[in-house]
Amino acid sequence: MISTSGLIKKYGRTLALQGLDINVPEGAVYGFIGRNGAGKTTTLRILAGLLIPDAGRAEVAGRDVLRDPRGVREVVGYMPDFFGVYDDLRVGEYLLFYAAAYGIRGATAQKLRDDLLELVELGHKRDAFVDTLSRGMQQRLCLARSLIHDPKVLLLDEPASGLDPLARVEMREILRELCRLGKTIIISSHILSELADLCTHVGMISEGRLLRQGPLNEMLAGDRVRKFILRSNGPARAAVEVIEGWPGAAVLNAADEQVEFRMSGDAAEVAGLLKGIIGAGAEVVHFAQTEQSLEDTFIQLAREVQEQ
Amino acid sequence: MSALTGGIKTGWKEYWAGLRNGLAPMLGKEMRSRTRGWRSPALLSVYLGLLSAGTVAFLWLNLQQVGNIYPQVGLSLYGIMVFGLVLLLAFIAPAVSAGAISGERERRTYDLLLVTRASLTGIVLGKWLASIVYLLFLVLAALPVLAVVFLYGGVPPATVMMAVLLCMITGLGYGALGICLSAVLRRSQAATIVSLVLVFILIFGTPIVAGIAAARDNYDERPVPYGDPDDYRPPAIPWYVFMSPLSAMTDAMPDTGNINTGRGIPLISSVMNELMRQFQPREMREYAMKMGYSTGYVPSGAATGEEKPGGPAAWPFWARFALNQAVLALVSLVVAVLAITPRKPWVRLKRI
Repeated sequence: MISTSGLIKKYGRTLALQGLDINVPEGAVYGFIGRNGAGKTTTLRILAGLLIPDAGRAEVAGRDVLRDPRGVREVVGYMPDFFGVYDDLRVGEYLLFYAAAYGIRGATAQKLRDDLLELVELGHKRDAFVDTLSRGMQQRLCLARSLIHDPKVLLLDEPASGLDPLARVEMREILRELCRLGKTIIISSHILSELADLCTHVGMISEGRLLRQGPLNEMLAGDRVRKFILRSNGPARAAVEVIEGWPGAAVLNAADEQVEFRMSGDAAEVAGLLKGIIGAGAEVVHFAQTEQSLEDTFIQLAREVQEQ
Repeated sequence: MSALTGGIKTGWKEYWAGLRNGLAPMLGKEMRSRTRGWRSPALLSVYLGLLSAGTVAFLWLNLQQVGNIYPQVGLSLYGIMVFGLVLLLAFIAPAVSAGAISGERERRTYDLLLVTRASLTGIVLGKWLASIVYLLFLVLAALPVLAVVFLYGGVPPATVMMAVLLCMITGLGYGALGICLSAVLRRSQAATIVSLVLVFILIFGTPIVAGIAAARDNYDERPVPYGDPDDYRPPAIPWYVFMSPLSAMTDAMPDTGNINTGRGIPLISSVMNELMRQFQPREMREYAMKMGYSTGYVPSGAATGEEKPGGPAAWPFWARFALNQAVLALVSLVVAVLAITPRKPWVRLKRI
């Protein structure tokens, strides 16, 4: 549904994208993960037709963003990370204005307005002025605006930024509903735990390059590195020393009686490490592998890139 | 051939749809926004307050000095009011439009507009028309104040309509200039300041430059006035003078020529006469004199049936001013569209 190949974008001397290749299948919810300045917003703006890449190609629903920008606008709904609203318009008028800008008028537009306001749970605010809405409500209104022309693809740049926990949950529920409606969605976000709940696919980007992409399950299960937690009876200093000296292992977090570490290798190697820790005099009371999170995977990949 | 025709038809249809999608909603939204909140009533109050205060002050001064009401009072009052109205609107027009595009950027609603099916031309035209409609609203609001002159008589309604037309022509060009600067400069404050300075230069600077140039030419051609007066041909008025509404002012108040500085019509008409005389280049003064308006030296040849030039040079002043304003508006709007497009045509061609 969405693909880019060799996408390059420069801002002056800064290289924002360095040959980015992403591939988003139809109906996927694609989590676009990366640090600030990694190139997420630039990519989304190129896909929305707001920026022209310096090199490379990008296609949305089979339409080239460079050659057929009008066609791309037909199928894309875009929600930027920072956006404003016309504070002198009412909620209903705001949606009708954008409906007219998409060529939708009359009774169709009014029905669409009411349906979308129901979808984002703002039906009761139809006659309120936009500037009286809370941040979360404005985010939902902006999402409704991006859906006004029934796009196949949604590009959501940090849709949950600045929201309180409750508003985030509400936004997540709306996005789930949109998944059920069959939209292909790209979400860029820093809040990786939420993406893990929502996404079917993930792409990790760093310094304008794609680190890894694929279905979420494969990304998490296929990881070579695992994370462990160890608790000891008394200070875990001896255990920390053994782990730090063990090839392929690294301490992530060490408290008085608890150590978190990651380690690559098979079961025999893990057993060998545990034997070594006990042999060093640590009284181990708990030793377990913890579930690898999206955040762990991203941090690990980012570290690998830095080390390279 | 039929494929080409089909392509042109489709392209035109898409262009028209984009234009409509931009123009109609933008015009509606802008007009709705302008009539809400405290800003619009405040601006209208200040504007009408200034006009009313000027009118009252003028009448008070005149009626204080003489017990009788002369017909010239109406003419003089009308002249002053049109002069003030045109100048006021000339500065309000860019001020109203200078925040149109930059305001979208500052509010961060700019990108949201660009991803719709509205064309950039439609968006810019919608913004421009909204400012023009607002100016028309201001002009119409001023009509009751302007109608005070009918109490004194001597001003035909057609002349008043010409004054309204002059106001609107002024707004068309200067409003578009404001939109252009709003698109280019990105900050509303900067766009407003620059547009006001530019409008000031266009209103007062161009006639002054033309006056200086004419004075220099006159000095160079000193022997001419001493020759046969019938051979005298005044120099053509430079085109840039018609960037100023002052150039068309005589058309909007042709019958105000009997203004004199005698009793009853004191200070203001003299100031106006002097302003018009100083700011307008020689030929225009001659025209004004022919219309019985201004005072000053008029060569005899200029007042008799001299050979008339053809083309736009033969047009009345208001039409030449309208032509210049139309060109200014067109250029400004094209520059505005090019400035806001995220996909500059030259960059896109290079990439394709």
